Amino acid sequence: MATNTGPGITSDHPITHIVIVGGGTAGWLTACLIAARADRDTARPLSVTLVESPDVATIGVGEGTWPTMRRTLERIGITETDFLLACDAAFKQGSRFDGWRTGAADDSYLHPFTAPVDGDPRDLVSAWSEHGGRFADMVGAQGAICHHDLAPRQRAMPDYAGTLNYAYHLDAGKLAALLTRHATERLGVRHVRDHVVGIDGTEHGDIVAVRTRASGAIAGDLFVDCTGHAALLIGDHYGVATIDRDRELFNDRALAVQMPVAAGSPIASQTNATAHAAGWIWDIGLPTRRGIGCVYSSGHLSDDAAADTLTRHIRATAPDAPLPTFRQLKFQSRHRAKFWERNCLAVGLSAGFLEPLEASAIVLIELSLDALLDNFPSHRGAMDIQATRFNTLFRYRWDRIVEFLKLHYVLSERDDPYWRDHRDAASIPPRLVELLALWRHQPPSRADFPMIDEIFPAASYQYVLYGMGFPPPTRGPIATADRARTETLLAQIDQRRRMLAAGLPSNRAYLDALRHTTAPAMELSA
Amino acid sequence: MSDHVILTADDHRDLRIRTERTPELGDAVMTCITVPSEFRRVQTHYPILFQLDQTRDSFTALAMFGFEPGENLFLTDAGWDARYRPLAIDSQPFLVGRGAGDVRQVHLDMASPRIGAREGTRVFDDTGRPTPYLERIADQLRALDTDYVASADFFAALRRYELLEPLTMDVTLDDGSKNRLVGYHVIDEDRLVALDDAAVADLHAAGYLMPIFMALASLGNIGDLIARKNRRMTRG
Repeated sequence: MATNTGPGITSDHPITHIVIVGGGTAGWLTACLIAARADRDTARPLSVTLVESPDVATIGVGEGTWPTMRRTLERIGITETDFLLACDAAFKQGSRFDGWRTGAADDSYLHPFTAPVDGDPRDLVSAWSEHGGRFADMVGAQGAICHHDLAPRQRAMPDYAGTLNYAYHLDAGKLAALLTRHATERLGVRHVRDHVVGIDGTEHGDIVAVRTRASGAIAGDLFVDCTGHAALLIGDHYGVATIDRDRELFNDRALAVQMPVAAGSPIASQTNATAHAAGWIWDIGLPTRRGIGCVYSSGHLSDDAAADTLTRHIRATAPDAPLPTFRQLKFQSRHRAKFWERNCLAVGLSAGFLEPLEASAIVLIELSLDALLDNFPSHRGAMDIQATRFNTLFRYRWDRIVEFLKLHYVLSERDDPYWRDHRDAASIPPRLVELLALWRHQPPSRADFPMIDEIFPAASYQYVLYGMGFPPPTRGPIATADRARTETLLAQIDQRRRMLAAGLPSNRAYLDALRHTTAPAMELSA
Repeated sequence: MSDHVILTADDHRDLRIRTERTPELGDAVMTCITVPSEFRRVQTHYPILFQLDQTRDSFTALAMFGFEPGENLFLTDAGWDARYRPLAIDSQPFLVGRGAGDVRQVHLDMASPRIGAREGTRVFDDTGRPTPYLERIADQLRALDTDYVASADFFAALRRYELLEPLTMDVTLDDGSKNRLVGYHVIDEDRLVALDDAAVADLHAAGYLMPIFMALASLGNIGDLIARKNRRMTRG
């Protein structure tokens, strides 16, 4: 693309015009969050413009969110009921991993969103190894609630509050549509439907404007690249390098399908991830459909074999339903070496993509906006400093996600070539190797994750580690603070589990009641 | 019409009870029965008044929520605005029944609007074991029944020492309207302080002194009730 030379930009130049290039989940979440958090009464209020090409179809990234989405929606100013109805959404309380360790019929563990009961992890883990049973079931009530397909909240509770930590399963296309309406109708975001044909920059390298086919040049002070895999700004324009992560994470294909579900059928409380010979299958329940997809490594499995694997999975639960055509997605696990270059920030797929095992796509969008808005550069002079910080923070976060994803594979005992390759020492990040060596002698703890805003806390590692059958450490030489208290806490969990199981409605009852109470009354014409 | 059935794990395995507090679920009531053993907790929020049933010549203790039938000033859009609810209203739609041999049972009022929803709190779990909710209800019903029977002796003592006096109270609200509360009795404070040592010892030995003073102290809540009424009228 052509780069024009424009006037230089001085360090006291205020940042007021934000231009987002690209719609989709990333673009519209970015637009909503910036517009909602902008101070309208300041001397120079921010203006937000989103340029969306009518020619480019968006990829619905992920149908699963993290619990952070509750705070995001609340900040944007959308009620939980409106969100649940508009996005055909359901509650997600964690992920269940079937067949990851051995592939045997009873090989299953849960990674719930609610952290274990608050106690010294050494005491919790040693109490669990004495009692036996499943780790997640012992250290919290959420396992039983998920097992019974119950919701994490009652309808009478205030929006976004729950008795257990939760996120959502949703229709990503409908989320983008809801955010588009909200941004343009409520938050004053300017929506330009046009194709970007060029980028105008200064001789110093800042972007001054994006040129469009019919709407002319759209000038801005900060440009957010939400153009997905195309990466028009961060990639095409700036040529920021990408870092491949496929040496650690092999999956590069997915076959996706949506199956309608019967009215009144139970809705699962968690994403179900079922391992197969060369990858895994996601199964996500919404009120009206199940989203199912086979993720696999093309180096280990042919497309036809993947289709067979997916068909067998569907047939096991829906033997007679007609089989829709599978949609194939190709991807590569990789991310940019830098995410913020000059006055351009990459958010969403333009920043990178990792296989969807931990639904990290949407949360990275949210975290990017949090980081931008919590330390918003009011002037150009502050931007380079903030950009350097941002790049350091997010490089740390992408590394941590890669390690956490890899953890799911390295503990497996499965014998297929794909799983053996995952255990090849050369494919395991050194930091993870070091942590695993440490965890032979002590459980994952806060000391292993020193950042204030760690993307995965020690609890997540505990759930995966002990779910996968990693041997619990024996008692160490240093005494723990209060072992007796742990027993009391564990006894209280049982009472809480019974209380919640009695008081929480099923996901289906909750979501059906929502539709029933808010459906417009049918009017009879005269 | 009430329609009472015996609660059983087999018949009511999947039963859910709506526990929200709304007028539609029957919470718009001016009073409910209370018993001396809970006076201490009741008086943290509600006035306790005594009502004479002329035909049976017996007294009943009532916790007051409002000044006219159907008025519950503790009921708000956000639910019941007080930490403690008297046993008699908190245990609905359950009640104490008598089975063969006068054995006490948990009965259920099938006509209650609290019954029959897909949302609500379960009474039994999948295995038929009572949930913590039902365990709490059973404790409440047990306390209520035991004390209701025992309260006849309590009122007999109050009458023996002539500690009850009729209440006539005129309430002027902020809008100038005058309301009169009649038909209730309260503890006669003058007679209470004038009791001789033997009478005090007698009431104390029977465990009545504490509830008597709690009932007396509860009258301070009438001011709170008036304030609630004024606020409600201001809001329209």
